[in-house]
Amino acid sequence: MKHAVALSVNGDTYDVLISPNETLLDVLREKLGLMGTKKGCDLGACGACTVLVEGEAHLSCLMLAIDAVGREVVTIEGLAQGGELHPLQRAFVEKGALQCGFCTPGMILTAKAALDEEAKPTEASIKKKMAGNLCRCTGYKKIIEAVSSVAALSGKEG
Amino acid sequence: MRLPKFEYVEPKDLKEASSILSKEVGARILAGGTDLLVNMKHRVETPAVIVNLKKIPELSFIRTENGVVRIGALTSLKKIYNHPYIAEKLPGLASAASSVGSYHHQTMGTIGGNLCQQNRCKYFNQSRWWRSSRELCFKAGGELCHVVKKKSICYSSYCGDIAPALLVMNAKAVLESKEGRREVDLESLFTGDGKRPLSFMRGEILTEIRIPKEAHEGFSMYTKFANRESLDFPIVGASLWASPDRKNIRLAFTAVDRKPLRAKKAEQSLRGGFHEESLEEAVRLVLEEVKPVNTSLYSSSYKREVMGFLVKSMITKVMGR
Repeated sequence: MKHAVALSVNGDTYDVLISPNETLLDVLREKLGLMGTKKGCDLGACGACTVLVEGEAHLSCLMLAIDAVGREVVTIEGLAQGGELHPLQRAFVEKGALQCGFCTPGMILTAKAALDEEAKPTEASIKKKMAGNLCRCTGYKKIIEAVSSVAALSGKEG
Repeated sequence: MRLPKFEYVEPKDLKEASSILSKEVGARILAGGTDLLVNMKHRVETPAVIVNLKKIPELSFIRTENGVVRIGALTSLKKIYNHPYIAEKLPGLASAASSVGSYHHQTMGTIGGNLCQQNRCKYFNQSRWWRSSRELCFKAGGELCHVVKKKSICYSSYCGDIAPALLVMNAKAVLESKEGRREVDLESLFTGDGKRPLSFMRGEILTEIRIPKEAHEGFSMYTKFANRESLDFPIVGASLWASPDRKNIRLAFTAVDRKPLRAKKAEQSLRGGFHEESLEEAVRLVLEEVKPVNTSLYSSSYKREVMGFLVKSMITKVMGR
């Protein structure tokens, strides 16, 4: 049976008709057209599908879309504000922390959740939290540099 | 990968949830979903009804009452290891919670869900296509075990990280159904039958974990030996608890048997005081009690080597030698 639900994504409300067996990932990509969230392994073992649910990093491939009803979802499309890239997005560009870019949305959203939780993390803490996001171009060093640079920045401001 | 079809319900309270679970044989509880949904995508679990407990208030909490730490079953693993009291007094539990999967799994996954995760086996946790080249095994609904061929039971391994950390602390589990509530030793929750690893009665729901006061007065640790530091199940997971005077030591293991196991003979041999020769004896007794089989990519003999290594390193550390 299909359910008519309202999903709150990136501050917008979407009225959609979904089946309970649809994952949040599939609904975001196929019904809302938000292709920024990537489908990697689809089994919760790569982090490419990471989105923020109530500000926390969630694997959208292992979450039922119907379970997201009533909770605020943020995807990579919702990070830039008023045409200005989020500091993490800018840092990824400036540090060259991406090659093919497939893992980047998940990396950036995991980093955002991690930095929101811990404003001045150590490099070890960043690495531990980012370890669930795999990059097959093997660009980890620059990714950690990009996240660390934003952490240092927010640390200074704080 | 599409999920199989199912009916979805969001009960408003435990009574309603229990009543659905006792009526529907094919109903399964959804908590964090990080184990269940993977198994459903692989079609090794195809529940007719999914009962999402997350809309029931009051199942996510951490509080201390009369020295007993009480943790609601829906408390996320991240909340557990970030909790200052647990991080300080129950380092074994904090370390087990922070070793599960990745940061995402720790955010989504719950303590109840982690404890109640399905057993694992290299012939079971595979896609339907992968499994189609062989006859169905016991766990997937068939009539044989590919690991131990002559036996009539399922040998899949319990691989949860949290269970050993709680077993060494003699934790209790609170189970609720529409008939009422009962508190049992966590250890009794695990049946040792790979096909049905948990001993719930029909309609029962794990609602809370209770850790006795004695446990926070001692010292605890959890060591996960895995191929990767993230996104991996343990090859062997081992937990130790020691009383403040170090005369009472408890040991438990995961990923080496059909259920998480306490090594009680080894514990007995370490009682009353530590001597140099007791280390070798403890290892010998652990290996006598815990007998892994080849359910993962790592051989049983390798797991036995690792168990010995972990026992030695944990005891040496706790004895300050």
